[in-house]
This record gives sequence, C-alpha cells and structure tokens, in this order.
Amino acid sequence: MIVTAGRLRSMGWIAVLVVCAALVMVLAFRVNALRSQVHQSQARIVALKQETMYLETEFETRANQQQLKAWNDVEFGFVAPASTQYLDNERQLASYAKPIEPGAPAPVRVASADDTAAPYPAMVSPLTGKAMGEAADHAKVTRASVSDDSDDAPVAKRSAKLVPAVATVTLAGLGDRLSTVRHASHDKPAHDKTAKDKPAHDKSARDKATAHAAGKDAKTHDTTVRTAKAGETKPKAHLASADDAHHRAPAGKASGSAPIRLALKDAKAIK
Amino acid sequence: MNAGVPPSQFSGASPARVLAGTLTTGRRHYANLRARSLLTAKMRLLWVIVGFVFFTLTAFVRIGQLGMAAQTPDRGAAADALVPPRAEITDRNGVPLARAFPSYSLWFNPKALGAKGLPLVKTPEEVARALVQIFPAEDYDDLLDKLKTGKPTYLRRRVLPEEANKVFALGEPALEFPRETQRFYPQGTLAAHVLGFVDADGHGKLGMEEYLNTRLLDPRRRAEPVSLSIDSRVQGAVEDELSHEMLETHAKGAAGIVLDVDTGEVIALASLPSFDPNRSDLADNDHVKNRATNEVYELGSVFKPFTIASAIDAGVITDMAVRYPARPLPVDHYIIHDSHDYGASLNVPEALIHSSNIVTAQIADKLGGQKLRNSMIALGMNQRARIELPAKGFPIWPRGEWPRLRTMTVGYGHGLAVTPLHLAQGYAALVNGGIWRPATLFKVDPAHASAGQRVFQASTSARMRQLLRLIVVDGTGKSAGAAGYRVGGKTGTAEKAGSNGSGYKNKHAVIATFAAAFPMDKPRFVVIAMLDQPQATQATSGQRTAAFNSAPVVGHLVPRIGPLLGVVPDGKRDVDVTDLTPLVANGDGE
Repeated sequence: MIVTAGRLRSMGWIAVLVVCAALVMVLAFRVNALRSQVHQSQARIVALKQETMYLETEFETRANQQQLKAWNDVEFGFVAPASTQYLDNERQLASYAKPIEPGAPAPVRVASADDTAAPYPAMVSPLTGKAMGEAADHAKVTRASVSDDSDDAPVAKRSAKLVPAVATVTLAGLGDRLSTVRHASHDKPAHDKTAKDKPAHDKSARDKATAHAAGKDAKTHDTTVRTAKAGETKPKAHLASADDAHHRAPAGKASGSAPIRLALKDAKAIK
Repeated sequence: MNAGVPPSQFSGASPARVLAGTLTTGRRHYANLRARSLLTAKMRLLWVIVGFVFFTLTAFVRIGQLGMAAQTPDRGAAADALVPPRAEITDRNGVPLARAFPSYSLWFNPKALGAKGLPLVKTPEEVARALVQIFPAEDYDDLLDKLKTGKPTYLRRRVLPEEANKVFALGEPALEFPRETQRFYPQGTLAAHVLGFVDADGHGKLGMEEYLNTRLLDPRRRAEPVSLSIDSRVQGAVEDELSHEMLETHAKGAAGIVLDVDTGEVIALASLPSFDPNRSDLADNDHVKNRATNEVYELGSVFKPFTIASAIDAGVITDMAVRYPARPLPVDHYIIHDSHDYGASLNVPEALIHSSNIVTAQIADKLGGQKLRNSMIALGMNQRARIELPAKGFPIWPRGEWPRLRTMTVGYGHGLAVTPLHLAQGYAALVNGGIWRPATLFKVDPAHASAGQRVFQASTSARMRQLLRLIVVDGTGKSAGAAGYRVGGKTGTAEKAGSNGSGYKNKHAVIATFAAAFPMDKPRFVVIAMLDQPQATQATSGQRTAAFNSAPVVGHLVPRIGPLLGVVPDGKRDVDVTDLTPLVANGDGE
C-alpha cells in the first residue's frame, strides 16, 4: 500500500493529536490522584485533630481538679507553702548560707577596678538634656576614647586612664565565672574577635595565673586574676596591679593574647 | 464515485463523433474526479485541524483550569469539620470547662439479630445484671424494662471507651455504641452552677450555657472558645475547702465566692452540694439551685461593716474612741441582745471585733433609716445581683420608709435577705476605695474594667480596711488569719427564719458566713464562705458560729489560692492599725 505524503502528514497530525490527548489525560489523572491524596491527608488531619481533642479531653477528665485532690489526699499530701517559705530576693536567700568555717578554702572573689579618679559628672543642660561646658568636652573625649577603643595599645591605655569607672580589666580567667560583667564596647568587630578567642584566653590566662601564683615574673603577663590566694591581697594593691596590667597592654599584645575588656557595674560594691 | 457515462448511450452516433465525445467525456471525468478528491482532502484536513484545535483548546482550558482554579485544595471542608457544633467554654487560663465531644452512647437496637426472633442472645435479666455491674449508677429494673419492651432506645448516654469495651465483651449485637457529639464537662461537678448544662434538645440550661446559648451556637463564632473569668484551680480549692467543712459540720449546703475587687471578675463561684452536668437527668435535680446567686439569706453580722462604713461616710462616726452603751437595748417592745456581755460600753473597733448588735443598732439609729437605706441601695441590695447568670434571686427588701426598729435590725444584718454575691460585691466596694462594680463571669482586661460608681469615700474605705483587719487580728475572725496574707474580714452567724414568716423558731438553724478580703494593705480579692445550717461538732469545738466553721475555711483557702492569684505572702507587711490598736481591749466574742 502506497502512502502519500499528504496522508502521512495527516497521520502525523493525528498521532500528535493522540499524544496530546494522552498527555492531557495523564495530566488530568495525576492531578486528580494528587487531589485525592490531599483530600485524604485533610481527612487524616481532621481525624488526628479530633483524636487529639479526644485524648486531651480524656486527660483533662482523668486529671480534673477533684481527681487531683483525691490523689493528693491519698498519695502525696502536698500542702500550700507557708509564708516563711517565700523569699523576697536573692539577699534573703543568701542570708541562709552557711558561714565559712575555720580552715575552709577562702571564697573566690572577683576583680574590681579603681574608681577613685572618676571624672566629675558633666553638668547637664536642663533644656537639651546634654552635657555642657568643659566637662562635656571632657566627657566627649572620654566617650570618643571608649568608642575608638580597640586592640590598639595606646588608645586602650588612654581609655583606661580617662574612664576608670568603666574599668577595662582583663579577666580572661574569670570570664566564665562572672555573670554580671559586660563588654565595655560592642561596636568594634575586633571585640567580637576577642570574644571568639575567649576560650583560648581562658586557657592562657589560667596558665598565667598559675605562673603568677608560683611567684614568677608577673611583668610579662597581661592578665590579673584574683584567685583564692589573690583574695587575701588588699584591694588597693590588687587594683594597682589591674591598672598595671592595662599599662602593660602592649606587652600583652606582643605576647599574642588580646585582653577582654570588661566593665564591672558593681565595682564599688565589691570594693 | 467515478461514475462514467455508459457506452450504450453513444450507440447511434458516428465513430469520429463518438471518439471525440469519449475524449471530452474522459477529460471532464478526470477533472471532476480531481476536483472531488481535492475537496475530500481539504475536508479531511479541515476536520483534522478542527479536531486538533479542539483538543489543543481543551488541553489549554484544562491546564488553565487546573492552574487557575483547582490548584489550591479546598481547605474549607476540613476546617468546617473541626468547628464544633457548640462552642467550647474555657476558664481564664484556657482550661476547657465545657466542650462538644464525640462520646459513645449505649443504644438498644432490638432488630440487630433480625426482625424475627429474640432481640438478645442471653435473657434480659442476665444482660441487665451485667450492665448494672458495668454502670453501678443505673437502675436494674429500669434497664430490664427497656430490654424487655423490645423498643429501640438509649440505655445510657456518655459511655467511656473502657465501659464500651466491657459492654462489647458481653457479646450482645443488640447493644450498639453510636458515637454522638454531646456536651461534655471534663471537670465534672466543678463550677457546675456557673456552667449549667445542655438538655437533650441541645439548648443550654442554667448558668452560662443558657446565657451564651445563641453565641455558642452561632456558626460564625462557634470556632472560638468563650473564656470565662473563672480560674479552675481556685474554683477547685474553694469547692474542696467548702465541702470539707460541710462534711465536718454536717451543713446542709455551702456557698463560696472569690471576686476581684478592682474588676468585678468572679474568680470562683461555688454552690454545694453540686451536680454533675454530664448527667442527663438534671431536670428534677434539687442541687441545680445556686446558693451563691439564687438563694437569699439574712446574713447577719457581716452587714455591720456596711453600717459602720455608712456612718463614717456620713460623718456620724468621727472618733473611733467614742464609747457606746453595751447593755441590752429595748426598742419598741423588743430587746436587742449581744451573744455575750461585753461590759458597760464599747467603742467602734471593739463593737466590730466583738460583733456587738447593740452598738451597731445604736449607730444605725444615729445614722437614720434613710441614709442606711440609701447606702444599701447604692450597694445594689435592693435588686437582683448584677451578673450574667440567669438564675438570680431577688432580695427580700423592706419596702417604704424604714421604721426605727427596722433600721436597727438591718444595721446588724437582719430584716434584709440577699444572696452571697450581693455581699461579695458590697465587700469589694468596702475595701477597694469605695467603688461598687457589677460582678462579671467574663474575663476583663484591667484597663477596661467597669468604671463602677462611688459608694464610699476613699478615706472611709481605708478606715474599713483597718477595722476588718483588726477583726481578724484581735476578734472573731482569728481563725481566718492566714499568716502573711493580711486577711481582713467579718464573721456573721444569723439564725434562719422559718418559711412563710414563721420567725426564728429553730435556734440551731443558722447561716454562718465569713466575708473576707486580702491582702488588706492593698486588697485584691474578696472571699465569701457561707455554710447553711452547720451543726456543732467536735471538729468545730462544739460551736456552730462562723468563727468556728466559715472563718477557718477562709484561713485554709487563702494560702492555697493566694499564690495562684499572684498574691505572695509577706510577714513583714500589713495594713497600719497602730492608731486603732490602743482602743481595743483584748477579748473574744461573736
């Protein structure tokens, strides 16, 4: 049988048509299958939610107030706490602590900073609410020095001089024990870096603290750690060593350990 | 199709003409054939094109349809399935108190084994006996009747799954368990009077189920639960303490209320004995009557602080040290007595501490009937309590002008009968700075609390806080003094009047009430504990007065609910009563 080109073309078109129709059918079937799956899922979600509600209700019923009371009467015997069992604050909690007995290890005390040279507070304009006059300029310098604070040794030194209240002490070894300390400045990536380096610092600081306790030359160290033994030192002497540590910051940097700058909010209280 | 001319047609013509004719005819024939073939081909092509276009269009339409319309599955149906037929009711912390719940029922279908023959495998007696073993509350004879009649009926509604399993194990196909959405109260009898119940037709009865019936059934809003002001933990503690005291004193009933003094929110409202709203036979249950809002009582001495406050407010009492005669007081052929002899005279703090009828009557007399009446009206004592509950009792309110004796008796809480809720609202106004607010069972944002209306001056309220605290420190309310919670309050033991105005015949039938507020330095909550006809028992030291039964309820209750309500006990804080303490000689009384 001879098939003409026209007929062949017609057959081709028909084939294409059939394929298209088949594809449409397949698409429609798949869509319908998916849709029924969605419906099934929805029905399952509804069933599960209802089941959850059912179980919740059963739980609530079995653990209702009367039932809990009955259990308490028979099994537990809990009673409402008396007024003496409530504490007002941490101070009251601390008052229940046992006094230190003779021969017990001395408590760990944290570092503090010298605030004797604190600048006189700048006069604040009642209109603008900003500091004014010479003191304001001084405060500006202070702020600038704090904001410019970085690992740059001279700047760090200056800021330590100008802002003794915000004591820039290196407490690498105590960083993990001090929950109330905060970083003096957070706006410099350098500090983030320092913070990241903290574990390494901790380790090095601990090593150094050990060396310090052993009576080795402290001048090469950039950290001052008050250990149990250091606690016996007079605060003034300790503060001096803290300041010394800042003055020796370049040496610390040279030795490869950047100091963590911490501010003690309650420096006075500790003193 | 190729229809040539037949040769017989040319038989009579010359050969040449025939030949020419044949040639012409043949050409024409082929020309026609070609034209027809072309037409056929074109027609076929056209059909193919039409079909192709049709299918293409169909495909595009289908794709469009799928893409545009049916892409997102219909979520509405699923969401609708989860919307309960009746909205849920929760407490102020979201704990469900009432919800639509698909629970099992026990249905007797006598045709389960076929229309002919016996409906049950075993005898009805055996089945009824087995059912009573599973459901001890059911009546054997009633079940037997239902099984014997052979009519399809409910044997029991709300069957637990484990009970259904036991019934299934009986092997009776006639006992079926259709799962039906019913109203279910997970906390059982807790706050039953507040919630009410739903009858067989699905209508709310009693309590908030009745008040909120339309809201709970509203198709647009029933997906959201309704949050009440009740705290289920506090409610549980109130009911527990009251029922404990009821058992100890063999009281007929009890009522308890915890009310927020600044917003009017009812944190707990209990009436005992309670009922189980899950049961379907509540229509003829006597316990559905709410003692806290529906029953009115002469509450006695707990009214004395209202009289004193009204007198302070009106300037009748200006000096707390002024002493009043405390000897029995004859008024219009009637003698007003105290429970004990407190000596020749008492001042105001002493009169409250000892709960002296004589002194309070004199103060009420000095104040005058009109002013006392106005105070009582301002406190809402002359109308039904303002709360959403449908069951609210109307007070027994003396109409018209009050004669002298009526003024005096109302002064110490007799001759006027109100509900415990009236009392709670009054005490809230007494201690919160003098503002009376309607009570509500809906959770209220403190910033949008009702403005209320001023009944007492703030200074009067401050003085009353001192006096109420003094009653607990030195007076009849000592057993309510929960350490650290600075409780203040007043006891009240009133003899119950007989029905139909038959007077106070039974001296042992009393209503013992303690109305309290805490913490008195900055009152947050009023607590009312009332016992109906408590008996003198060993547990109450042989007494039936409020100091020995209702006051201890408050004393036990406050340490349980205080921390739940954000009141932390503090032994170092209290309302300053140093200016009143020197005026009080120590002594006990009622």
